[in-house]
Amino acid sequence: MTAGPKRREGLRALLWLSPWIAGFSIFFVYPLISIVYFSFTRYDLFTLEWVGLDNWRYLLQDERVWISAKNTLWLVVFMVPAQVIFALAVAQLLTKVKAGAGFFRTVFYLPTLVPMVAGTVAFVFLLNPVGPTNQILSWIGVSGPDWFGDASWSKPSLTLLGIWGCGNTMVIFLAALLDVPKHLYEAASIDGAGAWRQFRSITLPTISPVLMFSAVTGVIYALQYFTQAMIASRVASGATDSAGSTFTPGYPDQSLLTLPQWLFHVGFRDFSMGYASVLALVLFGTSMIFTLILLRQFRKAEEVLS
Amino acid sequence: MSTTLTAPRPTRATRPARVGARRRKTLTWIATHAIAVAMAAMFLGPLVLVSLTALMSDEQALTGNLWPESFAWSNFADVFAKSHLLGWTLNTLLYAGLGTLFMLVSSVPVAYALARFRFRGRGLAFLLVITAMMLPPQVIAVPIYLVWARVGLTDTLWPLILPMLLGDAFSIFLLRQFLISIPRDYTDAARVDGCSDFRTLVRVILPMARPAIAAVALFQFFYCWNDYYGPLLYTGINQDNWTLSLGLATFKAFHSVQWNLTMAATLLVTAPVIIVFFFAQRVFIEGVTLTGVKG
Amino acid sequence: MRFVPIAAAGLTALALTACTAGKEAPPSLGAQPKPSGAASQALPAATVELWHGFQTDAEVKAFDEAIAGFNKKFPQITVKVTKAVQDDQITQAIRSGKAPDVAASFTTDNVALWCKTGAFQDLTPVIKQDGIDLTVLPEASRSYTEFDGRRCTMPLLADAYGLYYNKALMKGNEPPKTLSELTKLTKELTVRDPDGTIKVAGFIPSFQYYENSPSHLGPMVGATWYNEDGTSAIGTDPAWKQLLTWQKELVDWYGYANLEKFRRSLGDEWGSAHPFFKGKVAMILDGEWRNAMIANDSKAKSLGYGTAPLPVADDKPDLYGSGFTAGTVIGVPKGAKNPQHAWELIKHLTTDTDSLVTLSNALRNVPTTKAAMESPQLAADANFKTFLSIFAHPKTSTLPASVNSVFNQDAFSTFLTNWEKGAVKDLDEGLKGVDKRINDKLKLSGG
Repeated sequence: MTAGPKRREGLRALLWLSPWIAGFSIFFVYPLISIVYFSFTRYDLFTLEWVGLDNWRYLLQDERVWISAKNTLWLVVFMVPAQVIFALAVAQLLTKVKAGAGFFRTVFYLPTLVPMVAGTVAFVFLLNPVGPTNQILSWIGVSGPDWFGDASWSKPSLTLLGIWGCGNTMVIFLAALLDVPKHLYEAASIDGAGAWRQFRSITLPTISPVLMFSAVTGVIYALQYFTQAMIASRVASGATDSAGSTFTPGYPDQSLLTLPQWLFHVGFRDFSMGYASVLALVLFGTSMIFTLILLRQFRKAEEVLS
Repeated sequence: MSTTLTAPRPTRATRPARVGARRRKTLTWIATHAIAVAMAAMFLGPLVLVSLTALMSDEQALTGNLWPESFAWSNFADVFAKSHLLGWTLNTLLYAGLGTLFMLVSSVPVAYALARFRFRGRGLAFLLVITAMMLPPQVIAVPIYLVWARVGLTDTLWPLILPMLLGDAFSIFLLRQFLISIPRDYTDAARVDGCSDFRTLVRVILPMARPAIAAVALFQFFYCWNDYYGPLLYTGINQDNWTLSLGLATFKAFHSVQWNLTMAATLLVTAPVIIVFFFAQRVFIEGVTLTGVKG
Repeated sequence: MRFVPIAAAGLTALALTACTAGKEAPPSLGAQPKPSGAASQALPAATVELWHGFQTDAEVKAFDEAIAGFNKKFPQITVKVTKAVQDDQITQAIRSGKAPDVAASFTTDNVALWCKTGAFQDLTPVIKQDGIDLTVLPEASRSYTEFDGRRCTMPLLADAYGLYYNKALMKGNEPPKTLSELTKLTKELTVRDPDGTIKVAGFIPSFQYYENSPSHLGPMVGATWYNEDGTSAIGTDPAWKQLLTWQKELVDWYGYANLEKFRRSLGDEWGSAHPFFKGKVAMILDGEWRNAMIANDSKAKSLGYGTAPLPVADDKPDLYGSGFTAGTVIGVPKGAKNPQHAWELIKHLTTDTDSLVTLSNALRNVPTTKAAMESPQLAADANFKTFLSIFAHPKTSTLPASVNSVFNQDAFSTFLTNWEKGAVKDLDEGLKGVDKRINDKLKLSGG
């Protein structure tokens, strides 16, 4: 290795990267160090007090952490796969549609563009117990549930919202599906393989890195799940909207509580910065695990492709 | 486009076996398109119902009648009259506009360096970008909020805009993915011609990376437009500083549950995004594809 | 290690931020000697910023009128009003050093925290200086505006909770005075299909129903929330058990599933589809403000209804006539630019009889001082008077201030939902669990 040019290139790179290095230090390294420190204190923005392990001990007693974990697990086990499978099905459908392909692609993508808050507010209305959806269901003799008002239906309702806005995943899958070499299918169909066999033995293996990647990013976003749950709880609970009542996330019955929401509430509504830092470290730890999985996945894919 | 004529038609006298295959193909064609039409209806249904409700009177919303008895176009005017929608839109535009601009200025060079320079720690740097990209924003909220409170910038959108000057992990990631696919020959040629790094970036890379840059800019703009968490954290105090997301989230509460107006507001917040999409559809779809696993 | 310098820089920055976020505050209340006597009119000209939570046009107008009254006394003080402010916003503003001079909150939930942390300034010195007699306020109102000997807010207007009943649906019955009468009447007035589907409910016992929070229902049995030291008394006060046992019996009479189905079919609490407006429920627990909402609703205003105090435990008849009260509180946040001006404004709004009567007449809330309650100008029909007397009743109680008020109520409510569902096997154990959650949290927030 010739040290000269490479070192100079390294220095130049450092210069070019400097804004990002500054950003990374300020918005990643520094906050991580300081939440470790804050996690041993009681701090309400007025007074700061060293409390040792009190916050960490409380973590074990805080049942909302466990409720959040359970809710997140539900999202990981049901919502993420539902989104992936649905997006794949729609993408597969799009490869088969001949007439009006552009039209369908646009229509399927359109809901993804609806801003998250707008989409959630709209769904809370559409899924109101006496709202349009249940109205339509009643025409076919089904009495619909109280979607966002019922603890056992609230997460499925958000899953519907997630599926509705699966356009990005769909587009990625569509590109991957179109990349599968045509001749493989032709060969298979000469061998007499049916549609399902072709899908299982050709399509799936070819696009599996893309699928995995989507699933892992899906999990990471599930860990961060905040806006939709928060808005759904807020709008659906109604009563807590009145001035003078304090909103606690998770309505109905803490079924939509996730760790990021709880952290936000503890930190910026209760102003218990110390305990919020403990929650932040927990969130950081869990998301790091999945980020590492993602990185491995990524390496593999890069190796395959380059 | 002649949608009805695309079905394969027998052109010559065909043997019975092939007639069977053709019939099956036609049936598949019909089934596929029937499913597609049904799905399209399901995807569009919510938007249609929201639009219809936005045009109803307050009394009619949430009744069994889904078609507006009379079209109350004035609902849209009411939304503007009864809320700060205009101000919120301006704030959102400020956030999204400046945020996007700052992001581009800071992230393009970083992505360029990551994609083109050969240096020790390049792989690590890229891994760190991905790690930062995947970090839940709530993790760092407490200390960062304290910093902004210290300099007195809470209650403004600046804590959301200014950090964009220091690069955005997602945009860097995406741009790097694109830039790395540009053959080295181009930049090497420029280097041989004696171009500086900066000139190479401006003269060679930028023109070639235009679609990626456009996609990243669009994503950033939509991200800001969508963002609820950020404005909630920093601008919760004063309604005048809210963005559309924040305003819409509390809209129902402030207007004693007038669903018709709430839906009208929902449409008003959504409409600009959809309009932009129709103009920039290609850029969008290509950009999304880039976020997949391939470089 | 590349990260060492970065880490060092991080620690330095940390040391900088780890102190109070707010900047140096202007002189706090009572720190300076008061300009003597009538000279307070000679306060220098200034602008005072006031935040309140009212949002409808009528409410905002009424508030502006009250301020106009203040401006007659102090023409040199300009009051800049911001409407529709929620507690979250107030707390956030104070924490980040952007507080207004005066802030009013609809809830008493945060008073303890505000007083304890000094987020709102202690008014005691100026109250003494000005020689204000606080006994003109009922005891409950005095207690929800202070914490631990620090009076950091004043009561502006109050809410009192009582029973509303639909005259037609009562079928000539008098409103119930005891819990067993309430049970009996509920069973009599409820209209059900043979399959248990509820058409009209006599009384909805569910804790999840709009105003049926434990804080509002507790006074019916005289239940206490806290011990002297601020720890939870829920598990040890037998009154709670009495309330819960009574409540569960009624829930089971309906059948939990039937009741839930009915409750979920009801319209929004703040909209015109409220079940009481629609004649779907004969008796409800509600605040005095429901009177105004009924009067302002185009359809409900013709409703024939009456009001009465809440029924009470059969073995505690002396509680009858009392109820739950809380209300709007107003104070001077830390960091106010003109604390002395702010105090004059608060003094006017909370103690001036005309001002209170004006506000009460417009907002249909209970005025807080004795003089205002007895004022002939106070527009009070029979239905409203019920609430005036509930408010003034000596046994009327409030939710005592606690630094974790919201959390504690939430912890209890969560338990109550499980209780009425039938998911709680052992009531004593369950209530002890609530105690533990409340006490753990108390420890976390430092007593």
